[in-house]
Amino acid sequence: MGDRIIFASEAEMPYLTMSLGTTLYNKTGTWRYVRPVYHDKTPPCNHACPAGEKIQGYLDLVKDERYAAAWALLREDNPFPAVCGRVCYHPCEQSCNRGQFDTALGIHNVERFLGDYGLEMVASGALIPPAQKLSAPRVAVIGAGPAGLSCAYHLARRGHGVTVFEALPVAGGMLAVGIPAYRLPKDVLRAEIGLIEALGVTIKLNTRVGVDVTFAQLRQDYQAVFVASGAHRNVRMNIPGEETRGVIPGTGFLRQLALGEKPALHGRVIVVGGGNTAMDCARSARRLGAPVTIAYRRTRAEMPAIDEEIDDALAEGVDILYLTAPRRVIVEDGRVVGLQCQKMRLGEPDASGRRQPIPIEGSDFVLEAKHIIAAIGQESDLSFLPEGVHTTSRGIVVDGGGETTGVGIFAGGDVAAGVAQRVVDAIGSGKRAALAIDRYLRQAEAPVEVEPEIASFETLNLDYFAPVERVTMSQLPMAQRVSSFGEVNLGYTAAQAVTEAERCFSCGVCNRCDNCYLFCPDVAVHKLSADGYEFDYDYCKGCGICAEECPRNAIDIEEELRGG
Amino acid sequence: MKKVIMGNHAASYAAKLCRVQVISAYPITPQTQVVEMLSEMCASGELKAKFIPVESEHSAMAAVIGASATGVRAFTATSSHGLLLMHEMVHWAAGSRLPIVMAEINRAVGPGWNIWTDQNDSLAQRDTGWMQIYVESNQEVLDTIIQGYKIAETVLMPLMVVLDAFYLSHTYEPVDIPEQEEVDAYLPPYRPQYKLDVNDPHAFNGLAMPDVYMEMRWKMQAALEQAKSVAAAADAEFGRQFGRSYGLVEGYRLDGADVALITSGTATSTAREVIDDLRAAGHKIGLLKMRLFRPFPSELVREKLAGVRKVAVLDRNIGFGMGGIFAQEIKAALCNQASRPIVFDYVAGLGGRDITPQTIAAIVQHTLTHDQPEVETTWVGLKR
Repeated sequence: MGDRIIFASEAEMPYLTMSLGTTLYNKTGTWRYVRPVYHDKTPPCNHACPAGEKIQGYLDLVKDERYAAAWALLREDNPFPAVCGRVCYHPCEQSCNRGQFDTALGIHNVERFLGDYGLEMVASGALIPPAQKLSAPRVAVIGAGPAGLSCAYHLARRGHGVTVFEALPVAGGMLAVGIPAYRLPKDVLRAEIGLIEALGVTIKLNTRVGVDVTFAQLRQDYQAVFVASGAHRNVRMNIPGEETRGVIPGTGFLRQLALGEKPALHGRVIVVGGGNTAMDCARSARRLGAPVTIAYRRTRAEMPAIDEEIDDALAEGVDILYLTAPRRVIVEDGRVVGLQCQKMRLGEPDASGRRQPIPIEGSDFVLEAKHIIAAIGQESDLSFLPEGVHTTSRGIVVDGGGETTGVGIFAGGDVAAGVAQRVVDAIGSGKRAALAIDRYLRQAEAPVEVEPEIASFETLNLDYFAPVERVTMSQLPMAQRVSSFGEVNLGYTAAQAVTEAERCFSCGVCNRCDNCYLFCPDVAVHKLSADGYEFDYDYCKGCGICAEECPRNAIDIEEELRGG
Repeated sequence: MKKVIMGNHAASYAAKLCRVQVISAYPITPQTQVVEMLSEMCASGELKAKFIPVESEHSAMAAVIGASATGVRAFTATSSHGLLLMHEMVHWAAGSRLPIVMAEINRAVGPGWNIWTDQNDSLAQRDTGWMQIYVESNQEVLDTIIQGYKIAETVLMPLMVVLDAFYLSHTYEPVDIPEQEEVDAYLPPYRPQYKLDVNDPHAFNGLAMPDVYMEMRWKMQAALEQAKSVAAAADAEFGRQFGRSYGLVEGYRLDGADVALITSGTATSTAREVIDDLRAAGHKIGLLKMRLFRPFPSELVREKLAGVRKVAVLDRNIGFGMGGIFAQEIKAALCNQASRPIVFDYVAGLGGRDITPQTIAAIVQHTLTHDQPEVETTWVGLKR
């Protein structure tokens, strides 16, 4: 070596080494023993949503100001974005990975923005929801609450004709007669129900099953029945004096208000309970001009009410007495004058996981009051159900798809045992039941359940994220709040929604950030003309930089399987 | 247009006037303002160039190598440890025959940690194949970078313009900034013979077997030999167009001199004053400013020192175990002559210690009063 090449002149000597042609023949992919693959995971927000909303998906669309597409994607799972954007307890935000970084994303507020956007577009005629061709009515739904209407909506979207039977003169269930207008304006609710009706769903008001029509009749006229009659009966406090005039059931109080009556209050109101109904009663009573005290037997940490509701109640001047349980209504001349209470302390956790209140002997004291609102829970009236539908003290026994022990009978929402008594849980149970009923009608097999892979906080590459403050939603000034039932939360503007959506990490889901494309040292990541990328395994050496630098854990590294 | 600017910004303006297309650099004191201003120019759109921020000087040089290989004009700047971290890529740039120009701010090398000037950082790159030009003023910084691209793109070798930390980098002087059209007329766009091109794909700098490697090295040496005349021509053309030229070396009051002082960098300006005073006092003494260090202009050195009996070389550097590095080079250039001057080797001003007129006067006085150096290397101003 060394003597074979003779240069005839200096000019022939090379000044650098250069291949004669391309080196693409050298398929460096053969060096690989692991390979990257694009593999989207489930973001924790999507997983936590009882309605199964594709949250990361619609936030991504909002980022690009594609609001109509975002609204449509949101409504694939939930027909009530404007409602949930106001009243949901947003478990999505509790599970948001951003919460471990700075502050959880304002998903709830973006959802409301989209819900309102959709309703405005429909109202102005700018957006026409697609019509659906339905079969003759083949499913009866009992109760036009969030569970019943969600079920009807999802059935209609699959082409099934549905009739909804509602005992009350209004549709919406607890959304209409439970949640006060300052949290959920009636026209917003009516508009979203209107869109469900526009699909061809019939709602028969003032029709109580068991009174105006028998269950047997429904079984005869329809192929399947979905029971979602809710829990409207107030749970009793079971204390002496409870029957006195001036002791008001919480659900009754809210229903009166919702149906346009204004209960006259004179003097202090004590609300007993710590859930959302208690907060709704307390804040409503404040708006009727009464001073209000909430008595709750555990502490704030155990309160089932949404945090913001508790904050707003306190801000509006409601007093909360924790570790306080009612013992006896004090009555003079047939009227309420006070409530004898007992102080409690916290013991070991009970079945609900919350620490149990234990009475402190000899700690009784008296709160003066003219009215006592009992808001310690609601239960269902199940008297109309036929034989063969098993129930427990917690409601109708159902499986994961809402199917009861009665053939062709399904149940969801507050009336079903095991469904949390929350709006979005009701909506989710309605959706799952609709899918089960659809399968039942088609006699199809249930799909195999796959355990989702959640993109956890630890799997993100935080180097790519900087702290950004959450966009705060503006609220009605305090002076105007307690003097009316006008809506308190004023919503995001489009610009605010975009800014907030831009905070989304897009956990586990590729959002085309180009990091893999930019980092690949072998130029083995190709952009597809449509969306996304593909690996060129002819040249990918399996170095793993793409997966390492993916900010959101959307690329997996798999061991290379080789034949022979 | 005249502006009073720091030496670092003279480098930035020069790069802009050369219409560099890619800049990649990592900040280091005392170089930072060079690239800081260029990044602002890129951000504002005033300079249509891609600025590539990187995580190290090694990557900075790698990035400009990649850029230059695609046929664009590329620029970087660094100093001291930054340059030393680049070292592998400094070789690569030269071996790839890429005409990259770099502003290199002379800063001492640690430890002890020191940010002030001396030449050990750039002189450690002596044998990489890079051309090196040491400059004396902010105007010369600007002019030499413009000349630098012309030289580098003609001989296809990279070039560094070396300026003293703080004495130039952070000192404000009036600088004549030429108009863009004038520079365009002097410096045409870079047209490489070979470049990375996706439409004509080739791999560069692959394996070179023993049967060709040596010829490639011979070509590099030939290119640097050629660079002496190319640099002289570029300087002369620059002089005709802009009214300023510097020579590859500059003789100052050398006519009839018995003794010559040899300097580089900003110590030259101080030395001019001392020489004037000594000439006025009747001493036959002159000054030789070394501007081009690589390639080393041996012929010119011999020519300028013809007839001189004693030479005092002022080295702001130390080649440990031997002595001042400029002195070694001067000795090497002279030693094959039958008649040659005695060379005195003085090391001074390391780590930014001031080289004052008194320092230089002491060196000259020592040379005048001794026939031979007492030791191989004399350390000036040592506190012992």
